[in-house]
Order: sequence, then C-alpha cells, then structure tokens
Amino acid sequence: MEAKTAPRSSLLRPERIQRFLAFGGLIALIVVFSLASQYFLKPDNIGGIFLATAVNGVLALGVTFVIINGGIDLSVGTVMTFSAVMTAQFITIWQMPVPVGILAGLLTGALCGLANGLMVTKMKVPPFVATLGMLYITKGLSLVVSQLKPIYFNDTPIFNQVAMGSVLGDLARVVIGVFDPSNPMVLEPLANPTIVDPIKNIVLVFFGAAIIAAFILGKTILGRYTFAMGSNVEATRLSGVNVDRWQTAIYTLCGLFAGLAGVIIGARLNSAQPALGAGYELDAIAAAVIGGTSLSGGEGSILGTVIGAFVISVLANGLRILSVPQEWQIVVTGTILVLAVYLDRRRKK
Amino acid sequence: MKSKNLFVVVSLLLVVAMIAGCQPAAAPATQAPAQPPAQPPATTAKPYIPVISKGFQHQFWQAVKAGSEKAAKELNVDITFEGPETEAMVDKQVEMFQTALDKKPAAICLAAVDSKAFIPLLEKAKAAGIPVIGFDSGVDSDIPVATAATDNIAAAAAAADKMAELIGGSGEVAIIAHDQTSRTGIDRVKGFTDQIKAKYPNITIVDTQYGGGDQLKSTDIAKTVIGAHPNLKGYFGANEGSIIGVLNAAKELNMGGKLTIIGYDSGKQQKDAIRSGFQAGAITQDPIGIGYKCVEAAVKAMKGEKLDKNIDTGFKWYDKTNIDDPEIVAVLYD
Amino acid sequence: MGEPLVVMEGIDKSFPGVHALDQCHFELLPGEVHALVGENGAGKSTLMKVLSGIYKAEAGRIVYKGKEVEIPNPRAAQQLGISMIHQELNLMPHLTVAQNIFIGREPRHHIRFMLDEKALNDQAQQVFALLHLNLDPRIKVADLTVAKQQMVEIAKALSFNAEVLIMDEPTAALTDTEIDELFRIIDDLRTKGVGVVHISHRLEELKQISDRVTVMRDGKYIDTVKTREASIDRIISMMVGRTIFEATPEVPEKPSEEIVLEAKNLTRGNLIKDVSFQLKKGEILGFSGLVGAGRTEVARAVFGADPIDSGEIYVKGIKVHIGSPNDAVKHGIGYLSEDRKRYGLALGMDVEENVVLAAFKKFLGAFGWVNRSKTRSTAEQYVKMLAVKTPSLQQKVRNLSGGNQQKVILGKWLTADTNILIFDEPTRGIDVGAKSEIYHLLNNLAQQGKSIIMISSELPEILRMSHRVVVMCEGRITGELNIAEATQEKIMQYATQRGEVLLVDEPAPTSAPLGDA
Repeated sequence: MEAKTAPRSSLLRPERIQRFLAFGGLIALIVVFSLASQYFLKPDNIGGIFLATAVNGVLALGVTFVIINGGIDLSVGTVMTFSAVMTAQFITIWQMPVPVGILAGLLTGALCGLANGLMVTKMKVPPFVATLGMLYITKGLSLVVSQLKPIYFNDTPIFNQVAMGSVLGDLARVVIGVFDPSNPMVLEPLANPTIVDPIKNIVLVFFGAAIIAAFILGKTILGRYTFAMGSNVEATRLSGVNVDRWQTAIYTLCGLFAGLAGVIIGARLNSAQPALGAGYELDAIAAAVIGGTSLSGGEGSILGTVIGAFVISVLANGLRILSVPQEWQIVVTGTILVLAVYLDRRRKK
Repeated sequence: MKSKNLFVVVSLLLVVAMIAGCQPAAAPATQAPAQPPAQPPATTAKPYIPVISKGFQHQFWQAVKAGSEKAAKELNVDITFEGPETEAMVDKQVEMFQTALDKKPAAICLAAVDSKAFIPLLEKAKAAGIPVIGFDSGVDSDIPVATAATDNIAAAAAAADKMAELIGGSGEVAIIAHDQTSRTGIDRVKGFTDQIKAKYPNITIVDTQYGGGDQLKSTDIAKTVIGAHPNLKGYFGANEGSIIGVLNAAKELNMGGKLTIIGYDSGKQQKDAIRSGFQAGAITQDPIGIGYKCVEAAVKAMKGEKLDKNIDTGFKWYDKTNIDDPEIVAVLYD
Repeated sequence: MGEPLVVMEGIDKSFPGVHALDQCHFELLPGEVHALVGENGAGKSTLMKVLSGIYKAEAGRIVYKGKEVEIPNPRAAQQLGISMIHQELNLMPHLTVAQNIFIGREPRHHIRFMLDEKALNDQAQQVFALLHLNLDPRIKVADLTVAKQQMVEIAKALSFNAEVLIMDEPTAALTDTEIDELFRIIDDLRTKGVGVVHISHRLEELKQISDRVTVMRDGKYIDTVKTREASIDRIISMMVGRTIFEATPEVPEKPSEEIVLEAKNLTRGNLIKDVSFQLKKGEILGFSGLVGAGRTEVARAVFGADPIDSGEIYVKGIKVHIGSPNDAVKHGIGYLSEDRKRYGLALGMDVEENVVLAAFKKFLGAFGWVNRSKTRSTAEQYVKMLAVKTPSLQQKVRNLSGGNQQKVILGKWLTADTNILIFDEPTRGIDVGAKSEIYHLLNNLAQQGKSIIMISSELPEILRMSHRVVVMCEGRITGELNIAEATQEKIMQYATQRGEVLLVDEPAPTSAPLGDA
C-alpha cells in the first residue's frame, strides 16, 4: 500500500512520459531532417513550418477541450471555412470594417459550437453524430453564402498585410536601428529580412491562442470541469455540477477556436475559399492525439497538442524537402498517428 | 423544455433566413430551372439531357455549367447539371449516372472521374440506345460517340514551351498539381514533363508535388519547395488551386520578379496576378466552350447526325498583353 | 442518545413493475452507526437514495433535526448535511484527491473564474487532519488503492460538514487491514456525533461496528433491533422470513452418479477464488449467493466468455481447454445469460433464425446456403416441444414475452446439441405463470439426462429446483448443501460468510491499530 499511495516520481508519471515521447519525437524529426537537408533549418523554412502549423494548431486547441471532455468535434474544419466565408461576407460584400468582420467570424464559429453543444446536451444526440451533422451543415452553408465562389479581401489589403506582417521583425529592426542605424536590414527591410521576419503575426496569434487555451484548461473552472466530465461524467453530475451547461460551454469554446482558425486562413489566403475545410478536422484530432490527449477523455494538455500539431507539419515539410513522393508522405503520417495511439493504449494497460 | 423549443425555432429561423437571403442573388447567376426535372422526358416537350460533371464547387465547373446552359437554351433542350463534391467520389458519380439512365434521357454528357468504373454503365446506355458524349477529361472507352475536351497534354506542353522561353532555356523548375490519379492531373504533369525532357535538356524538373487543389496545402507545399531549391527559376501550377498556392508562397517569400510562374485556368486571383505581372501567364481551357460543345454534340447525336470522335475545345495562352482581348475574356471566369 | 437526527416515515416508491418501497420507516440517532440489512432487492439502497435526494419518494415524510424537509436532489441533501457514498465509487480518476473533494465548489481566486489551487489543497489537508488521514491532496485518484479512494469519498462527504453519512457496501472491495482503518474512521465519526448508515451484506461485520440494525425485506420495513441484543441467526431469519413460493415443489428425480462437468481451482483475479465443483448427469445444481458473489463470473469462466488465471475444467472426465464460447459450445456447454436481451438473443431476428443461430453449420447446404426447410422443421419442433407462444416462426423475438424469449434461447442451445446448460437467473423478469412453466421445463430437461447449473438469487427458487446447492460469497464457494439439509437460513449464513472470517457473535474491538495511513 505504501508504494501505491506514494506519489510516483513526477517524471515517470504516464502522461509525462507521453508528452516526453511526443516532444522527443518532434526533436528527433527535426534532427533527422536538418541532417538530411541543408534547407530545413533556414529561417524561411522554419517560418513556413510555423505558418503551416497555425491553422491546424488553432483547430486542434479547440478539439483538445472537446476530446478531454470525452466528446469529439468533427465539424471544426468546415466551421472554420464557414467562419472565413462569414468574415469575407461582412468585410467584402457588406463593406464592414475589418475588426467587425473578424468579430463576425469568431462569433460564427462560437455559434456553430453552441449549436453543437446544445445538440449534444439538450437533444442528446451523440457528439459524433451531432458534429458530423454540423460538418455537413456548415459545408453547405459556406457554399450557399459564398454562392460557390471564393470571396477575396482585395478591397481591404490591410487584413492580409497585418496578418502576414511580422511584429517580431519590426521589433528586431527597431532594436538593430538603435545600435546600427545604417544596417541594410533597417534601410531596406524587404530585401534584407531579419532572422525573425519569417515568424508572421498569425503565428503569434496561434501562440497567443495556445497560451490562452492552456490558461483556461489549467487554471479556470471551465478547465477543471473539462477534465472532471471527461473522467467520470456521472460523478461530476452527482457532485452538483451543471454538466449540460459546462459541456455546452466547451463545444462553444471549440467553435470559437474554429472561428479564429477561419479568420487566420482567410487572412493568409487573402480570400475565403468555400470548398476548403473538410478533412481538416482529422488533422486537428490527429494533432491532439499525438500530443497525448486520450480519446476516452480525462487526459490531455495544450502543450501536448501544440507539439502534436508541430509533429504533423514538420513531418510534412521535411518529407517534401526531401522530395519523398506524396503517397509515401501520407503513409508515414498515418503510421506516426497509429504509433501514437498505440503508445497511448499501452501505457493505459 | 423551454430552451429546447427556443433552440429549435431559432435554428430553423436561421436556416430559413440564410436561404432566403441568398436566393435572389443566386437566381440570376444560374439560369437553370430551380429543380431538376424529376419526371421522365415523356411528360415534357423538350428532350432531356443530363450533364454529369466531375464537380460543381469549383469555378471551372461553374463555367462549364454556364456553357451547357447556353447551348440548352439555344438548342431548345432541357438539361440538368450535377457532379460529386470532390473528384474522388467515383461511387457518387456512378450513382448519378445510374439515376440519369433510369430517367430515359435523350442523351447523356459525362466527364468521368474514373473511366473504368463506368464501363458497365456505358454498355447499359449503349444497349438502351442512349448516346453518351464525353467532356473535359473524357471517358476511356469506344462507346462515347464523341468527346469535347481540351487536349491537356498539348496544352501542358505549350506551357512548357513558354516556361523554357521565359527562363532562357536552362535552369530548375518545379511542378505542383492537384492530384496524381485524375486524367487531367496525369496529362498535365506528363505533357509538361515530357516536353521539357524532349526539347530542353538544360532544364531540370526538380520536384513534382500534389496539393489536392487545396489552396492552403498548396501554399505550404510551394513554400517548402521554393525554400529547398534556392536556384528555382520557374514554377508550373497545373490547376487553379495549385497555382494559387504558388502565388501565395511566392508572395510570402517576397519572390516577386525572381520566379517565373505559369498557371492553368483562370479565376480572379490568378487574373489579378497576371495583370500585375507577378505571374507570367497561364494556359486557359475553354470551359464555357466545353459545356456548350458537349450539349451541342449530344443534340446532334440524339438526332442521329454524324460526329467527329474528338471535339477539341482548344486552349489558349494568355498573359499581361492579351488578357483583355475579347477572345480571351470570353473564356476566362472569375 | 436524545432526539433522532433523521426520521423517515411511510416512504413509498415504485419503479415500473416493482413496488420498491412500501410504507418504509427508518430512524437515525446522532452518534450512532446504524446498519441496514436485507436480501438483494429488499430496498435498502433505494431507501437511502431517497434520503440523499437521488430518488423522490411518492409518499411519506422525512424529518431532519426535528423539521420536516424536502430533498429534491443530491445538492439539497448535501446542503442539509446528508452525504451518501455509493457502492460504485463516484470519483474522477484523472483528477487529484483535492480536486475530487471540492468538485463543484472549488475555492476561487479573486478573479472569479480562476481557480485557487493552493487554497484547494490546503482545505483538503484540513479535512484529512480531521480524519487523521495521511494523504497527499495532489495525488491523482487513479493512483490510489480502492481503500484510499473510499477514504477520499468519506473526506468528500465530510467536507460538506455532513451530519448524516450513508455508506453503501463500503467494505465490499477492501482487505482486512483496510476495513480496520475504515472502521476506525467510522468510530471517530461516531464520537463526533455524526450519524452513520452502513449498508452491508456482511453480518459479522455489522456486529463489529453497528449500534442498531434495521432489517428490510421485499421493500418493507421489518424491524429495528439493538445489535448487542440480536444474534446473527435472528437477523437472518428476519431477512429471509418468507414462506416458500408455491406449496408443492416438484420432487426432482435423483440424478445419476456420472460426473459430466468438473471445475478444479478456478481462479480469476479477485472475482473467482479457487472455485471447484462437480456437476452430475441429470442434475440441477443450484448456485446461490448474494449479488456480486461471483456466480455469474464462474459461469462465464466455465463458458469461456472470460479468461481465467488458473484452474482446470473437465468434461466427462477429460480435461478440456475452453478459451472462448466457441470452445464451450463444441464441448456441449450452453450459457443462458442473465441479460437475455444483451447476450442471449438477436432481438431483431425472428424465432426461426434465433433457434438455429448457434448451430448454423448444421443447416448449410452444398453451396453454403442455408437449408430453409431444415431450419424450419427444427424450429417448429422446438417451438412445439418448449411450448413457445408465438404467432409464427417469423415473429421477431423482440415482440415475445420474457418467458417465451427464455424458451427461444433454450431452443437455440438444444439445437446445438448442448448437454450442459448454465441458466443465469432463468426467471428474472418473468411473471409467475411463466415461471412455473420454466421450472417444469428444467425438470424435464434434467430427467432427459441434461445437466443444469442454475444461478439464482431467489432462495425459494433454489430450494425448489436444485438437487444440490453451492453457495458463494465474494468469489469463494463457502458451502455446499444437499437439498435435504438446505434451508433459507443456512444458505443465507454461507452467503454472508466472508472467506477468512468465522461467524462470531461477540462484538470485536472496534478500533484496530492503524495501517500505513
């Protein structure tokens, strides 16, 4: 009994092992790819990896909450698209100011998430079915609202410029400028980017969102109940927690993140592409799972999910740089995913 | 209980409002009857020709649709235009074809996602005496009486010639295409690659990747490839989604003017890039012509007229200099 | 001990088809440990769930500290100071001890939606101090033993300043030293004036810890006695004091001496402990015991539905390996599950299809199709023989009554040439008329030389049907009785006897030295 009740050495806790595995895997990938190709570690490529992670990463943040809570959200990809379309509808078609459009996109995502939550808690539709329905609904609505055409943000170039600018780069230039005003990086920024210029603002948005998500999950009531419900929903209910309300809140939060992803993808592509989105939910779920979030609920972390999202994009990027045929890239991604879930199962036994 | 009812009502309202809000705007754009004729042609005066395409979401297919509707109006026939959501949905398309056959149409126009999957159904159509007209990528079979399509191999070869000319006959180029299994994907990559290999020994194709026509994925791919090949001089994108990826990547990497970009088809973003000189130019097919000519051929076949096996709908090269020529404007779409 | 803490009067509660509580009475004094006993389904848990706000009574009143109260939900009960620890622990394994204790009422940071983790752990520590418990509030509950988890539940209940603590079978999963520690805590609570309700099947344990015992039977209140003044025999007779169901039991014929099935030292974790028994040809062997005694587990192990850790099974004297139900069927063993709908029947299929399901191979024609005329005649034969009341062979099994569904399953096993039949609660949910029909059928089968194991929680049924009775308690066989010597009281004594403990009438010391806590 002594051994069982004493806290195990913190490094050996199963969830830490999983996170360590994912992180170790990520480092291993980076080492292998940087040895295999001299271009892998170039600032532009690193920036590219960050950018490629942003959309999937933000989607995965929301999905992490839902999965820890014991549910699943299949609609995040198309909710993202629908949010992008609504943002474009507000900004380009209805000529609203950009911040209003961004707000509309976020709100659209949150409303879709709210609808998911109400379907799950009030109508008692299983999450898989409810969110599958939402996948189709938002996929269709995106096409209806956009009338099957991409909507461009050409009248509001500021949207793309801000998103794809680099505050970090500007800061670096200011700092360099103080010490060396004649440095070419200061005088001709376009031709001489600083090393942090490839880190675009939407990447910072992603990191900001991740920090907020980690805060909500770790430090707030919502996060606590996310774990509690995923761990044992009946016990949580018997403890007097209003389970339905909190679950709805979790789906809404997930929708909000999908909305944010919609704004990000719109800004990056400078357009809302209504046919995009289906399939993105699987990448997001994969990121969460690789990062140690258990599909049976109760465990997971934001840090893990962020690592998982990077594993996916580093893998894709590295294999492309090595010109591995695409079909094999897909096989490798699938293998990594199964391996991650297998480890998840094994440590549970 | 109360909140449940409220939810149902609100969501219904939302849906209705969206449909209502978009309907008037959508109507003039598509002049098709609001609903496909559910009845067999016996009850309508006009002959019925279903047009089964490979998709409907992309601008290209919308243009094909516009062309076929134009022909239908001029030649006084009823058409329906439908296609699966993605170009991978063979089963869905087979089902559409089966349903179309059951309605006993006067003729069927088909752009097969997978030719081989259609052979039994094509034989069924032949036995029933219903002529089949292929369009776009066509159908690998003797049964279709005619095929209205772009010669994609020739078109991609023309793109290769332009690329060679613009980069001075030597250097590294890369290709990004939509997928490695569809006819158009295969033909365009093959046409471009073969032409370079045969005629321009000093040009090397350093990478060929596929982005599924997804703009975001294509962007990330193109970015990686450009990063991995600093000496890259040219980039060929084999469809609209792919070339948009190349444009985004080049823009994000500040490659304006350093890279010769050649695209395929049109679309607003590509047209803008060509106008500004960011993109060298593109091959355009004639989607409206494809739609028009396949319905026209179907009407002829229905009347028993003799048809050429291959109806070449042609392709054109366009760049900054001729983008506003009337004959180019006619085949471009937004 | 002064004024009662809780008085429940005239409590009535029905579930569809069951009158679970009938005019029930209960009284709890402050600082007393009050045992609540009764057979399975006597209504103990139901009565306490009414008190803790999980069920709502249809009639009756609850007086708490001299005032009549309404208890609409668990929250309200907790606010009054009434907490219940359920049989299946209600904890969130992925959360820490402190997080579990304060779930739903976490101390907050001065920014309202933020948690104050430090205050949380400190408050948990204070509760542990009250209980003299040495437990780290930051450990995850999943990493604790069951006993420690139970302590967490108790701590959680007390953190509501509970004055009434209800424990439903708290010792079921505990070892002896763990039970000692639990009793120490209960004793501690008693001195603090908390009223403790202790629901248990272990009568010897009640002697050890409780002050008074209330006995319930068939949803009715029987009596409340002082523990010191009541012998275990008297409590048992109050628990079972019911006349045997139906006057004339059919006298089963004496089975032959040929042993068709023998299990030797079956063991599976904590559920089956060293179980050995023999089954003779033409015999009905009754398996008695309380819910959770491990009878179904033994049946499933013999049938190959669950793996065993060790032990041997002999069919007709030959050692066999049964690794799956398929193996069992090959050796002529059939199992009629307690949960017919889930495990026994394809509800959406018709009578004919269900009857031939387990022996499909017998009906396959030359090219792998099913020989319909053969399946039909076989199904017809069994429907007639078992007197299944069905409008046609094509009737969906879903639409038949419970008794007829049971017969269809039986037909299925007979079609598969099964000689050893294990019936798990064969008459559960079947009305009285159909019951005697099933009994009749079992006797017939035994006379025809089939061997039957019948698991039943109804003592009259066991006594009426069996040639021999095996009694289990907590995974062990605690007794074996010939039908001539078997009585309800004897069976009940074996059924409440823990493996290592002998029946004691003397109250044992209530507090034992502490373990490692």
